[in-house]
Amino acid sequence: MIKSHPSEANLFQYVAGELSAGLSLVMATHVDMCSQCQAAVADIEETLCKQEFGSTEPLEALNCEQMMAAIFASSAPKSVVRTPVESMLSLEGKRFNLPNTLARNRDRIGPWSHMVGKLWRAPMQVSSDSSVNLIYMAQGATVPEHTHKGTEATLVVNGTFNDEHDSYHDGDFILLNEKHRHSPQTQQEDCLTLASLDAPLHFTSGISRLLNPFSSLFFR
Amino acid sequence: MQMASARETQRKVMTSARTDNADYAADLLAQVAATQSRRAFSELFRHFAPKLQAYATRQFGNEQTAMDLVQETMTNVWHKAHLFKPDKGSPSTWIFTIARNIRFDILRKNKHRQNDLSADELWPILAENNESLDDDYSLDGKVLMQEISSYYAQLPDAQREVIERIYIEGKSQQEVSDSLGIPLGTVKSRTRLALKKLKELITAHD
Ligand SMILES: [Zn+2]
Repeated sequence: MIKSHPSEANLFQYVAGELSAGLSLVMATHVDMCSQCQAAVADIEETLCKQEFGSTEPLEALNCEQMMAAIFASSAPKSVVRTPVESMLSLEGKRFNLPNTLARNRDRIGPWSHMVGKLWRAPMQVSSDSSVNLIYMAQGATVPEHTHKGTEATLVVNGTFNDEHDSYHDGDFILLNEKHRHSPQTQQEDCLTLASLDAPLHFTSGISRLLNPFSSLFFR
Repeated sequence: MQMASARETQRKVMTSARTDNADYAADLLAQVAATQSRRAFSELFRHFAPKLQAYATRQFGNEQTAMDLVQETMTNVWHKAHLFKPDKGSPSTWIFTIARNIRFDILRKNKHRQNDLSADELWPILAENNESLDDDYSLDGKVLMQEISSYYAQLPDAQREVIERIYIEGKSQQEVSDSLGIPLGTVKSRTRLALKKLKELITAHD
């Protein structure tokens, strides 16, 4: 049961195409996993459409004819065939089933690298306005406490992690900004998450500050 | 507009009111898809292009870019009308989401690198897709392939054959239909039945 969803405002921005590509990817993956947000997205699409198509701007008759002629003469835009691509991800002897959005963009997932302790990371090539990573936390892993410069979205793809505030399971979506500080950990269960960030993490606690170079490795 | 006779104006208003009706617009899209009807398309065009133009002008504040968005959106409507699925929403919402995707890409075109994520990859509304795989996502999202593989031996041969080709060989439902020489509808219903059966088997063992 998913208990942590994007806000209504975030869903509107997502549907309108106002969010960064990275955050949009995390939202789209949550929507794959969440029937409640699928329904919300369908409603919002309809609402936005009514709003945006509520007014008209008359085109010159001449332009209309020209444009239609150009359209009739155009060749079909290249078609994207969506085949159910390989949706399994293997890591550390475990297999994860990737939600549609990730499976479809599988070729954007870079190689896994071992970070520190029980943390692994695979960068996703998404865009220059955001940094997106798949992060795997084995059982009993801890990410040093940090705040965020900018907005960090985290989605649990599979497993469970906790921070000071709560525990999060498959499909949970968490959005944190610079006001929040947290240190995610896993306990009995491992956890695969998808995270997007639009600026480097800022580590705040004691020895972790020494890990600041690590943040640029972690989220670059 | 100043040249239009009263009768023409009246006809346009009537046409527009009819195109506002989702079923009527869906029917026009079906005609474009089935017979490349230019008459049906121009009715859609006259209804939607001014709305797209207003939307794009608000977004870009640049007339040329706005016109580009209108043309690109309507070009997709012309060539991709067969991808409109009446059960998934209204024609106007479908056209709006096409425009939203085009806007997303136009806004990023200049600023970003070539292989950045495109709107189609986020919202694959114009992909030639297997819609029933989406409907059944609730299964493949929660269940590991390992689990499936231990149960799918229990499926009837006809269903297993379809599931294997789709989920293991990565074929589209259309390709499965072609390669097995069975109708697409049959592939879809077998997939649906098989997934339903798997879901039952898995929940029974949970
Ligand atoms: Zn949700």
